[in-house]
Amino acid sequence: MFKNYIKIAWRNLLKNKGFTAINIIGLSLGIGCFIVIMMFVSDELSYDKYHEKADRIYRINSDAIFGGTELSMAVSADPMGETLKNDYPEVEQYVRLYSSSGAKLIKKGSEYIEENRVTHADSTLFDVFTFKIILGNKKTALNEPNTVVISESAAIRYFGSAQDAIGGFLDTDDNTRTLYEVTAVMEDMPRNSHFRYDFFFSMDNVQYPFGSYLSHNFHTYVVLRPGTDYKAFNENFPEVIDKYILPQAAQFMQVSSMEEFEKAGNYLAYSLFPMTDIHLRSDRGVELDANGNIQYVYIFSAVALFILILACINFMNLTTARSSGRAKEVGIRKVLGSEKKSLIYQFLTESTLISIFALIIGLIFVKLTLGWFNDISGKEMVMDALLSTNFIVFLLLFPFIVGIFAGIYPAFFMSSFQPISVLKGKLGTGHKKNYLRNFLVIFQFTTSIILIVGTAVIYRQLNHIQKAELGFNKEQVLVVNNTGIPSETRGSLLEEIGQLTDVISASFAGFLPVSGSSRSDTVFSTETVITDTNSFNMQTWAVDYDYLENMGMEILEGGRFFSREFGSDSTAIVINETAAKLAGFDDPVGKNLYGMTQSGELTTFNIIGVVKNFNYQSLKQNVGALSFRLDNNSWVSAYRFNTDDVAGLVETIKEKYSAVAPGMPFNYSFMDESFDKMYRQEQRVGSVAVTFAILAIIIACLGLLGLATYIAEQRTKEIGVRKVLGASVSNIVKMLSKDFVKLVLIAFVIATPIAWWFMSKWLQNFAYRISLDWWIFAGVGFIALVVALFTLSFQAVRAAISNPVKSLRTE
Amino acid sequence: MITIKDLEKYYSTDEVRTIALNKLSFSVNEGEFVAIMGPSGCGKSTLLNIIGMLDDCDGGSYEFKGHEVSNYNERKRANLRKHNIGFVFQSFNLIDELTVYENVELPLIYTGVKPAERKKRVEEVLEKMQIMHRRKHFPQQLSGGQQQRVAVARAVVNNPTLILADEPTGNLDSSNGNEVMDLLTELNEGGTTIIMVTHSEHDAKYSHRIIRMLDGQKVTENVLA
Repeated sequence: MFKNYIKIAWRNLLKNKGFTAINIIGLSLGIGCFIVIMMFVSDELSYDKYHEKADRIYRINSDAIFGGTELSMAVSADPMGETLKNDYPEVEQYVRLYSSSGAKLIKKGSEYIEENRVTHADSTLFDVFTFKIILGNKKTALNEPNTVVISESAAIRYFGSAQDAIGGFLDTDDNTRTLYEVTAVMEDMPRNSHFRYDFFFSMDNVQYPFGSYLSHNFHTYVVLRPGTDYKAFNENFPEVIDKYILPQAAQFMQVSSMEEFEKAGNYLAYSLFPMTDIHLRSDRGVELDANGNIQYVYIFSAVALFILILACINFMNLTTARSSGRAKEVGIRKVLGSEKKSLIYQFLTESTLISIFALIIGLIFVKLTLGWFNDISGKEMVMDALLSTNFIVFLLLFPFIVGIFAGIYPAFFMSSFQPISVLKGKLGTGHKKNYLRNFLVIFQFTTSIILIVGTAVIYRQLNHIQKAELGFNKEQVLVVNNTGIPSETRGSLLEEIGQLTDVISASFAGFLPVSGSSRSDTVFSTETVITDTNSFNMQTWAVDYDYLENMGMEILEGGRFFSREFGSDSTAIVINETAAKLAGFDDPVGKNLYGMTQSGELTTFNIIGVVKNFNYQSLKQNVGALSFRLDNNSWVSAYRFNTDDVAGLVETIKEKYSAVAPGMPFNYSFMDESFDKMYRQEQRVGSVAVTFAILAIIIACLGLLGLATYIAEQRTKEIGVRKVLGASVSNIVKMLSKDFVKLVLIAFVIATPIAWWFMSKWLQNFAYRISLDWWIFAGVGFIALVVALFTLSFQAVRAAISNPVKSLRTE
Repeated sequence: MITIKDLEKYYSTDEVRTIALNKLSFSVNEGEFVAIMGPSGCGKSTLLNIIGMLDDCDGGSYEFKGHEVSNYNERKRANLRKHNIGFVFQSFNLIDELTVYENVELPLIYTGVKPAERKKRVEEVLEKMQIMHRRKHFPQQLSGGQQQRVAVARAVVNNPTLILADEPTGNLDSSNGNEVMDLLTELNEGGTTIIMVTHSEHDAKYSHRIIRMLDGQKVTENVLA
């Protein structure tokens, strides 16, 4: 019996090649998308789960409101880990990572390589995290100063192999020069880690005033003993603050209790955060790497499901639509003694068979497009990911689920045909109202329209950001790291390059209004005694004389930047509009601000100018308070240029750098590119959304094409009669298209408010956003209509120009 | 074998109710060959469908081999049908996607006959119908006469006690038609009861008894042999 079903199914597929193609292609596209997105989602969900103690590892987060500024950070104070371990038996172990010293230069032969994936770690690293050691003893690897654990690829890079690396030395620029002995080589960290390092240097080499509870610079991870509830554990932190932090704070501020501290509008809290949630649910200050976003995981999962449903709906629609072709078979089978039940099985077998094919084609489609999807999504997924047990079980069950879901309605529909009526050809035609089919078409177009509107809005918003009035000029600025250049020659090098004909201006620029640049946030107040009412947080950027002009920033008050002639001293500052507003100054120039330096001393700053607000953070945020101070920040230089031969200019500048510092890496970037990086996640989401929106509309149109073919076929006789009676081709086309156009219009009416709601929510992520204009919706509706009409017209015109004599003879 | 009493059948649309069978009564004995004649629309096909348990009646009783079947559900009817009744249609009604062999095999699959036994019986009946050489062909590759022979083969492969034929020669030329009639006669001589609906006086002469109908009622009944 089963064999018979398969046979019939197979021959039917071959007999109606067009339909089969539409059906299988539609379904495979849907399945392919679904699998790709599921791979993406499961990759996102897999972060940090590979550690043996993954479910017991927590990071200490700190949240503070101080001087009106809210800080939520992924870092905490250096003694925190040890304090917790000593005072609370629930804490099994802790490890700190110190990454604030940034990149290191490591010598290979006579050249220095800049390594960014470097950190310092406590010797307890391997008690907390699970990294596979290839060679060396993980218990003792980081016990001594001047030791380092490196990844296999780093070992190969510097020593040729893991064996050769053990016992070898890395020559770094730490404190001008420090040698580290390689004590262990570990496998490269998995991609799905919220931080990825190639080098773990000993914590003992960190130059830092250890013991301060008031500076937050360490990523601290603790392992709780099995069975400990971390939320309950968080209740211990107020005690820790009382016991350790307040006594230290009292030395700087006039507070003696938490109540006083909080009464002054301040706030300080610590909490444990599950490590496995960091990638998707944490977006704090000083994250170790750009994290994902659980929202996008949800959105993409929903999109995947919708696309799959769209494809299944196509299947249902096409199958029921051309059920008349199967009616005779159903009738005969019933006459020969088949029960309804076995017919249902038969049709389900058929739809399952089709979904198996579709799955295979879908997988091929996944294989072909995965590289490209990786490009746009920033992932490094491989087909092997599908070989995990979960995926295999899923892939085996999948065709049955899809087959049953897509086939159940057609199966019931067709198996209920009455044998006598179908054998006499009395089966109802497609002209009969089929509400379900109409509903399915509406659903498909509603989904497509929502996806397209979403895509259009995302694109316009990203475009808006890129063209936004930034308050500085990011175009044509080359930013070069002055790594390895002796500080005394940096000035003359800057000047020399500044005199090149293609270079308009040059300045040092340790702080830049793009990501990946330094930031320094401290408390300032308008009076000498800092209280909650007179203080605010403000960034202080150390710049040189030419910085403001070089960046294209606009001075509003004060009439001058820092100038060589007037010899501004180190206490002169230029503030931005927000700072002036927060300070409550109507006429800020000449007024003083008081700020705490890192050593804890109060310094007086004199305002010499106000600069127009410019965006130095993501445009998702409003511009915060900022000030410029004249200081030595010569480790980065920025050159504004004007040339068509950018590559040539870069080469020229590189030669000048190499002449001063031979063997040093020449690291440069363009400011506009760094700016774009800040929106990379949105851009990725945008590209992914575009792809899926296009696929959704293709799937919907495939379905429409199939339906139109069928309807035209069903109405062959009617068309013939109408033509005999004098209907023109355009009359017929109009008649055939009218019903579908109505459905698309209904879909538009339903989709508009849904799309509006979703997109206005998304836009709220941005401080600078576009408005949701009516014409976006109208435009998308129009596009959907045009695409639908275009699809329909193929069949409608074909039906309309066919010879009526021929069509009438078929009856 | 079949006893029908006061059988009624209506077809209703929204506004009109058409009477297809109007208190029709007759019976058929085991081994009989009965022809049912009458003009188009007299209800003879409706009658055949009810006898074949493809359709319900709206009134009266229908007794098949001593069982009252007018109140059977679809499943019970399907079960009774597949073991007892073979059908031959005017338009052959072969499944286009199946070969000759597979078409004939189908009823055996539904009655759960084992594969080896199926093969034997299908080949036997194809041999008998002289279409063995065509067993791998698809229906559309055969002539009308051949297709109807396949349909007959399919109807008898299960050894039914009753064959219902709805204008079996309607789509055939006279020589092919005669061939099919000879086949039916032969089956009848082998003991199979046959009820045939026909327009053709010529075909009706092959039967033992002719029932003539008009407007859903039996008009005359004449015994031939």
